[in-house]
Amino acid sequence: MTIITTKKPFEEILGVLKNMNKIGLVSCGNCAAMCQTGGTEGAKEIVKKLEQEGFEVVVTIVPEEVCDNRVMMKDFRKIEEDLQNINAILTLSCGLGVASITQVLSRMHPEIPVFITTNTEFMGMTERIGRFYQRCNGCGDCLLNETGGICPITTCAKSLMNGPCGGMVRGKCEVGNFEIDCGWILIFNRLKVLGRLDLFTKLRDPVNWSESGHQREVVWR
Amino acid sequence: MTEKKVFSKLGESIKKGEFVLIGRLEPEKTCDLSYLIQEARKMAPHVVAANITDSAYAVVSINSMAAAHIIQRETGLECVWQLTTRDCNKIGIAGQIMGAHALGLHNILSLTGDHTALGDCPETKPVFDLDSATLIKLVREMVDTGSINGHEIKHPPKLHVGGAANPNSDPMEAEILKISRKVEAGAEFVQTQVVYNIDIAIEFLRELKKYNIPLFLGIFPIKSYSIAKEFDTFGSGVDVPKDILERWKRVKTSVSDKKEQKKNYDQLNYDLFKPFITELKSKGLIAGVHCLAAHYTRIFPKLIEVIKS
Repeated sequence: MTIITTKKPFEEILGVLKNMNKIGLVSCGNCAAMCQTGGTEGAKEIVKKLEQEGFEVVVTIVPEEVCDNRVMMKDFRKIEEDLQNINAILTLSCGLGVASITQVLSRMHPEIPVFITTNTEFMGMTERIGRFYQRCNGCGDCLLNETGGICPITTCAKSLMNGPCGGMVRGKCEVGNFEIDCGWILIFNRLKVLGRLDLFTKLRDPVNWSESGHQREVVWR
Repeated sequence: MTEKKVFSKLGESIKKGEFVLIGRLEPEKTCDLSYLIQEARKMAPHVVAANITDSAYAVVSINSMAAAHIIQRETGLECVWQLTTRDCNKIGIAGQIMGAHALGLHNILSLTGDHTALGDCPETKPVFDLDSATLIKLVREMVDTGSINGHEIKHPPKLHVGGAANPNSDPMEAEILKISRKVEAGAEFVQTQVVYNIDIAIEFLRELKKYNIPLFLGIFPIKSYSIAKEFDTFGSGVDVPKDILERWKRVKTSVSDKKEQKKNYDQLNYDLFKPFITELKSKGLIAGVHCLAAHYTRIFPKLIEVIKS
């Protein structure tokens, strides 16, 4: 699994760095490296661009996993001196990376603002590098055992529990000009192969938002 | 109809087993409904009720519940209030259902609704908290148990609820299985999408027969050649057969007098739908016809002729 990120336009990044010229760079060595928005290469590319614009990149680190608080705590300790000399941290990671850095820094340097260089797209399945697909929304109430391993919440444009809708034409979805497969027809075809159309016919209740709603946590120790 | 209770003229007709003709009116982006009231008045003598669309194609229009209420009040034409799950969550929809009853509306057609991405506010949030099947289930819960989620409604609504089906759906088997969910949820009637191919219509309707639910065939009499082309291009999953397009084109190109053109188009529709409806009716596959053509009220006397023949 990879958190898929894409690059923000460089102009947008410059916009948030106004009046800040000493930058610390944190580039994720995991998912963002795979998406070519972070890692060592992503860092080199943005350092060059920032320097061309007159910024000083005081320090660059490429942590193994920016979203892990423990990793960030350890890596920030190693660059404690540099942290004293920067106006901002620029993060080449997903949104979780920024959240992690913000949380860790709040104990060490709450005065340092943290900015992001990417847009977090989705939790992605990798076909090969450069081909990532959203197949799971992480909704918290997995239906896959009943839908032949294909998620309707993700693959149906309306996230319907009882599809397909009338917007399906010859297996394609009305959203996206009938070029994308209708998730519910994928489910139908799969369940048919499995001899489990009884699962397709099942009338399903709406998603229970009281359980899959706001800012979830898994805390077991 | 599984429920014996009758809350509307449409419910009464279904109960009596009368073959019904249902019309359709499409509210637009306006606060003035006089054009629709005029159309409703012309339609009223011929139909048992008319569907009132709910921001069809996800294009903003005046609220369908308000439009249906005003049309009923002003013309006496009973309305089938189309309600989609696109724009409101369960709280909003349940409130609307009670509001509809209070405003004198007693028929709902439950629809999922076209995706917001297709309409004139593509940036807005699509809701789809419910879908067409779970909306039917909600209406039945409110009507039959007088409650929502086990919480009592002081004066519960009295409404009939139906669903939609698409004979053109490919694969058809998925559509047929899907309808079983709507029946299980408590649909009292089913209105079909427009279909021009009689073989497909027969195959589809025969498959639905097992659900023992009144089926209203969707037809779209074509007012002109330009409308035929438009419907062929934009009607979701509905192809207008080439020979029909040709016949309509011939009228447009060979008849210059507008009055004569109209007469020709009307006759073509009569010739097209008479054998179509007669065959399905004689086979006992349909309980009525839902005419989806908007702004074409002059065709209704001819349709009545067809239905009564």
